[in-house]
Amino acid sequence: MNKNGFREGVKAALPIVFGYLPVGLTFGVLARTAGFTPLEVALMSLFVYAGASQFLAIEMISKGMAGFSIVVATFFINLRHLLMSSNLSLYFKNTRLHVLGLLSAQLTDESYALAMSNPSRIENKPRYLLGLQITSQMAWVGGSLAGAFFGPLIRSSGYGFPFALPALFICLLILQIKSIRHFGILILAGIFSLFFKWALPGNWYILLTALVASGIGIMIETVRRKGR
Amino acid sequence: MRASVLGLIFGMAFVTFLPRFIPMAFLSRCVLPEKIKVGLDYVPVAILSAIVFPLLFSDGETIRIDLHSLLTAFPVFIFAWKVKSLWGSVILGMAIYWLLGFVF
Repeated sequence: MNKNGFREGVKAALPIVFGYLPVGLTFGVLARTAGFTPLEVALMSLFVYAGASQFLAIEMISKGMAGFSIVVATFFINLRHLLMSSNLSLYFKNTRLHVLGLLSAQLTDESYALAMSNPSRIENKPRYLLGLQITSQMAWVGGSLAGAFFGPLIRSSGYGFPFALPALFICLLILQIKSIRHFGILILAGIFSLFFKWALPGNWYILLTALVASGIGIMIETVRRKGR
Repeated sequence: MRASVLGLIFGMAFVTFLPRFIPMAFLSRCVLPEKIKVGLDYVPVAILSAIVFPLLFSDGETIRIDLHSLLTAFPVFIFAWKVKSLWGSVILGMAIYWLLGFVF
């Protein structure tokens, strides 16, 4: 087991655990307030496992909106995973389909970003990514369940917890600066994301920014190769 | 366990699974053109940038500078750049955010 990297994956997930526990707690508390039972909270965190859409679902339910509209909203919120999944596909050429099914069901922004901070660790090593993702998901489900049971007793917004995930993302962003071109894309993507976020509803800005920025990346690379 | 909630959960799970699974399942079986691979190489930095910038420069709805987050982010950037430690960055970020909470 260890040889295949499962345990390394589990260890690598610990910064995500730090970030997921308090957010999961918050979700559990809010879901309980909206009338969910602890079992329903745990099942949603286990099977949907997508923070933003789960929070939105709770909000829409409290406003009395229909299930169908919640499912449609969920689809659009989580469309951003398209490009992350495409990116990860490069590293799992020889992986069996049912393993890919499990890996993709657990794909989140955080586990994707952490995996991509060192792609050589995941290349054709699904066990490493499985270890990373199962640990992260357990933190999410565990946090949600704890929130559903003990919510009112815990202050998940205290002690700097709100900055755990932002700090994780900042470090992962820094780790992605592999060249001056990546830094340029970083700045451009930052500006584009603020513009798209301002101009469009929901979280379309993530998918759109990734599309535009990687398009610019392709142009830069094409010009560079012609210049040689 | 209410049936309507169970239906909602599985509906949400299904539509979330599709965009997570389909590209991985199909593209891992294809030989991708070099251009697409080059583009995909910039996807991580673009996505992370699109997550981090709005965290620091907006309050969820409008573009606005959140001084509490920004002052926390600055040392975390420096630390992440110098030390490249995920753990360290998370702990440092939480500590500074917590301490600054007494000021803001």
